[in-house]
Amino acid sequence: MKNSEPIGNDEKLSKVLREWKADAALPPRFQEGVWRKIESTSAACATMSLWNVFAHWIGTLLPRPVMATAYVAVLLTIGATAGLTQAHQTNARVKGELGERYVRVLDPYQTPRN
Amino acid sequence: MKRGLLILVFGLIAAAAAYGCIYFACTSSARNMERSEKPELAWLKDEFNLSDAEFKHVSELHSAYLPQCQEMCKMIDAQNVELQKLLVGATNVTPEIESALAQASRLRAECQTMMLRHFMQVSQTMPPEQGRRYLAWVKEKAFQPNYGMSEKP
Repeated sequence: MKNSEPIGNDEKLSKVLREWKADAALPPRFQEGVWRKIESTSAACATMSLWNVFAHWIGTLLPRPVMATAYVAVLLTIGATAGLTQAHQTNARVKGELGERYVRVLDPYQTPRN
Repeated sequence: MKRGLLILVFGLIAAAAAYGCIYFACTSSARNMERSEKPELAWLKDEFNLSDAEFKHVSELHSAYLPQCQEMCKMIDAQNVELQKLLVGATNVTPEIESALAQASRLRAECQTMMLRHFMQVSQTMPPEQGRRYLAWVKEKAFQPNYGMSEKP
């Protein structure tokens, strides 16, 4: 008996479901809302995965001696190159200003008046 | 994770240190020039690779020229004041204005002659190649075709 009752219920339920018709209209902009939800979920997943990749890189790859050496070497090179480029610009600016100053000191028509 | 973070931070500090060391080392000569007593002469020595003896001679010429230049500045200023006085309220070119303009032109010619003479003396104290480079540079700076036309008030 115990086994047959649920089957009987299922048949009744199936019958009811077959006869049931949904008349209710979908809420306005339902489809757009669903897509927006899907997009926001995908973006969150992408951000998470980027962070996971970064964390994985720091946690497992960076401590390896070869990787650590390469990482420090690359950053040292970047720092040194930036310093050299900036120094060249500063030297060019200072030399340009001093050259102009040399002419200003000697040319009465360019000499600043007090 | 902790070791990785330490390496990450160490790399960033190393990059900043490399930047600072290279920057300060490469700009030290420019800073020294700016801090010197006469930065424009320090620049001249550096730019035209002057020896100490050449630099001493150039400095002497420079010091001898400056009083003449200051005297010329005073004359130019006085001439300008006189010209401005004549121009106030003038509606015609009077003989006085003509005379003042002619005097201003004479002063300008004198000034340029004096400068050119000084530049040539300085160039002769330098090695020939540097002297030619110096003259070409200084002529471009002080004897352009539009000389004095872009002066700021």
